[in-house]
Amino acid sequence: MHTIIHAIISYFFLLLTIRILTRRPGAQMTPFEFVLVFLIGGVAILATVGNDRSETNSVCAVIAVALMHRTIAGLKQRFPRISALVDGTPLVMLKDGEWQAETMRQMRIKDDDVMAAARTKGLKTLAEIKYAILERNGALSVIKKS
Amino acid sequence: MERSASSSHQTSPNGVPAGREFSGEIQTIMASTTINKPVEDSIAKVNDEIAVGSDPDFQRRWLRFEHGLWAVFTLIVVLDLLGFFGRGYMAKGTARTNDGTLDVQYDRVERYSTPSIMTVQFGPSAIRDGKVQLWVSEGVIKSLGAQRVVPQPASSVVGQGGILYTFPATSPPFSAGFQLEPTSPGMFEMAMRVPGGEEVRRKILVMP
Amino acid sequence: MAAVFRAVFGYCFLVLMVRVVGRRPGKQMTPFDFVLVFFLGGLTLTPMVGNDRSLINALTIVASIAVTHFVLVWLKQRFPAFGRVLDGTPLVLLEKGQWHQRTMDQLAVQDQDVMAAARDKGLERPDQIEYAILERNGEISIIQSSNKS
Repeated sequence: MHTIIHAIISYFFLLLTIRILTRRPGAQMTPFEFVLVFLIGGVAILATVGNDRSETNSVCAVIAVALMHRTIAGLKQRFPRISALVDGTPLVMLKDGEWQAETMRQMRIKDDDVMAAARTKGLKTLAEIKYAILERNGALSVIKKS
Repeated sequence: MERSASSSHQTSPNGVPAGREFSGEIQTIMASTTINKPVEDSIAKVNDEIAVGSDPDFQRRWLRFEHGLWAVFTLIVVLDLLGFFGRGYMAKGTARTNDGTLDVQYDRVERYSTPSIMTVQFGPSAIRDGKVQLWVSEGVIKSLGAQRVVPQPASSVVGQGGILYTFPATSPPFSAGFQLEPTSPGMFEMAMRVPGGEEVRRKILVMP
Repeated sequence: MAAVFRAVFGYCFLVLMVRVVGRRPGKQMTPFDFVLVFFLGGLTLTPMVGNDRSLINALTIVASIAVTHFVLVWLKQRFPAFGRVLDGTPLVLLEKGQWHQRTMDQLAVQDQDVMAAARDKGLERPDQIEYAILERNGEISIIQSSNKS
């Protein structure tokens, strides 16, 4: 009983922490964020399992977490508001040659990051970009001017 | 249409899954013994056009399987919350002797290598000459892995397929606790009695 | 040794859970996916190790998992039907202007996810997509319409 409650609480806590803590740069998690994930995740795991090292306990905890995950995924699909809450929304960084400065400041994205993404698409200058969009998973999508 | 000749699970440049496995090594010797297969239409097509390899029948059956699985999972979680797998409300059991000597609080379902406590309460008729004696079967010590007895018994004598503990006692109520940590999964029997009194014998299931 | 059974069971159970929790759409694991995988993995490993912190126990567990993994991979290659069960098949999400809404509902994929994949290819609108396919690893493949507008 303790394990399942703990598993569910840890799941939401991790969800919240990751949502708040991770920046959304050009897609990669920095080593610092990796360390954070390992630390927080590890603590959550040990707190959830406690001193009960039986297979029964672990199976129940894993199933509880998986159930939560499925439920959230289902809710996200049915209610766009929840999806925006949990994953965020795509954000426009550059539109028709104009930087969306406020959004970029909040997301801590620099024009260098956008240019790096543009280069991977084969573009040479910022002037060739029609839209630059920060996706929910942190990737930057770049749409060329035709 | 470009196809990469490399093996199975890579996607070729236009994003469509590549064909079935066939040898992808660069053939430097065109011997007749090399194993090559011509590109067949081996991937199921959608619209007779695009080779996706999806199988609607399989997908339907798989989804039914998944739904069944999630029902089972939910059931498992509910059972666990209720305590059917140990460490919960439904697992708690009590065993009393009719002559009032023993009252044992134990878990009917235990878990492997997980600490738990079994409490034995003694009735007034168990106390003789200022001490209480309790005989505990081997199963409790070995299989259920009794780690400690609280309070420390004055003496413990091995015999009769178990251990006889002697606790100094003054007046009721008095109880002793066994800290258990089961050593292997399975069904075990535990028995205990105050010498001369009724025996309590129960089966305990240890989950893996 | 019991550790071998626990390791094999734990690994197989984890494979089952990851398969059944569902494909997360998108090319990369988001930090959240990563945390989930890590969390599930950690929860699975603790009973394998149990109270035995010895090196030989660790080696036994790692070896058992590795062997089980190779067995599964070999089974996948040998029996394509098993590969379908283990990995699933690619599924069509968008076909010539029609969303396969039921498939998307069943897989909990949003049209946003498809559009994110399309934007990655430089497309702007759904009508520029001929086919959108959810691959076995969650990646969404976009086949563009031949008439570029």
